[in-house]
Amino acid sequence: MNKEVYKQFIAEIPDYLEGKLSPERRVQFEHCVDYFPECKSELEAYKKLVHNLKKENPVPTDRLRANFEEALKLEKSKEAKVVPLEPKRNNWATNFLKIAASVALLIASYQTGRIMQMEKSNQDLAGLLEQSKLDKQMAMLSLMENQSASKRIQGVSFISEFPNPDQEIMAALAERLLQDENDIVRYNAFEALAEFTTTDFVKEVFIKSLKKEKNPSIQIGIIQSLTKIQEKKAIGPMQQLLEQEDTQPFVKNEIELALPKII
Amino acid sequence: MEALSDEIIMQKVTEGNLDLLRILFDRHHKHVYNYLYKMCGDTMLSEDLTQDVFYKLIKYRESYKGGVFVSWLFSIARNNLKTHFTRHQKYHDPIEVLAYKKTEEIRERDEEYAQLQNALNQLNAQERELIILNRYNEIRYEELAEIVNSTPGAVKTKVSRVMKKLREIYLELN
Repeated sequence: MNKEVYKQFIAEIPDYLEGKLSPERRVQFEHCVDYFPECKSELEAYKKLVHNLKKENPVPTDRLRANFEEALKLEKSKEAKVVPLEPKRNNWATNFLKIAASVALLIASYQTGRIMQMEKSNQDLAGLLEQSKLDKQMAMLSLMENQSASKRIQGVSFISEFPNPDQEIMAALAERLLQDENDIVRYNAFEALAEFTTTDFVKEVFIKSLKKEKNPSIQIGIIQSLTKIQEKKAIGPMQQLLEQEDTQPFVKNEIELALPKII
Repeated sequence: MEALSDEIIMQKVTEGNLDLLRILFDRHHKHVYNYLYKMCGDTMLSEDLTQDVFYKLIKYRESYKGGVFVSWLFSIARNNLKTHFTRHQKYHDPIEVLAYKKTEEIRERDEEYAQLQNALNQLNAQERELIILNRYNEIRYEELAEIVNSTPGAVKTKVSRVMKKLREIYLELN
């Protein structure tokens, strides 16, 4: 057998056994095995070597497994007892910063919360006050329309709840003063309006009332209020009252005293 | 669970599922043991070293950072063996003891295996290791390259060269 061919044959044994030879090389390789006894024995020897290499050889004793189990058990018990934490370097400066940051955060969030809470409660309170003001106004207006005189008086006296009454309330009070059949209701309305004599609306109402009012107490009250503010427009109705037959003498007396005061 | 790859199981072990180490032990302890036995030819020592490999696996499980598990495992085994030999170099057994051991082993095991072991013993440690890991433990060239710090191509060339050498020794002995 050619020495080169034999050399190549030997080199190809591993690939042949692993099925990595090309089909042509495989045919040639098997040809060599069939025709040359030395090739055949070479292949057999190699096969035996590989086979022996893969053979399960000495087996470890049970001690190996037992010890492994014990080590595993020990490790598991350690695991259960100790929570493995990365040992952290205690740097006081970073710790201090961390604490400072948390305190700052705490204070900041507390303040924010407080301000928000305050704003919210202020809003709530404003809403509530607004609501109660509207409710009171409603109550006042409806009381003033009531059939019962005492209820109307109660309604009129609600004016104390409104430091700055709106046009609707003023109009309702004026109506009471000018239209109400009950003297006490009219008097109370006058007293309520007297607080706001300086406004043009109230002046007008008082002058109108002076012209038709028959109750002397109210007449005197109006005369005094208008005199106090020196309302010139009141002179006409006052002189009219002086001339009227049914005007009470003490009312006339009051007018006579008042007229010179209005310059 | 049995069907999961070594890598996935080891990943779960690092996450704290220690019981899964049993599966890895079952799958690999014989391979490790045989690798060590073929490398040192001493059953007691192989068993001790194998045990140590699995102790280390338990202890240093968190140092597993992915990668092929067998490569990692055999790297541990290899280092164990190396450490052992460096540490015990000065306390080598007297030559008579070694000879006695050898004959005893031959009597215990079948002839063919003894021949192979003898052939393997004539290779140097590096060559022997490659053959054992590749041919016996069936570790692929890629992983083998990782274990011995080389490239797959270089490892393949080396393995076939050593196989040829081994075959020649083996044939001579036969």
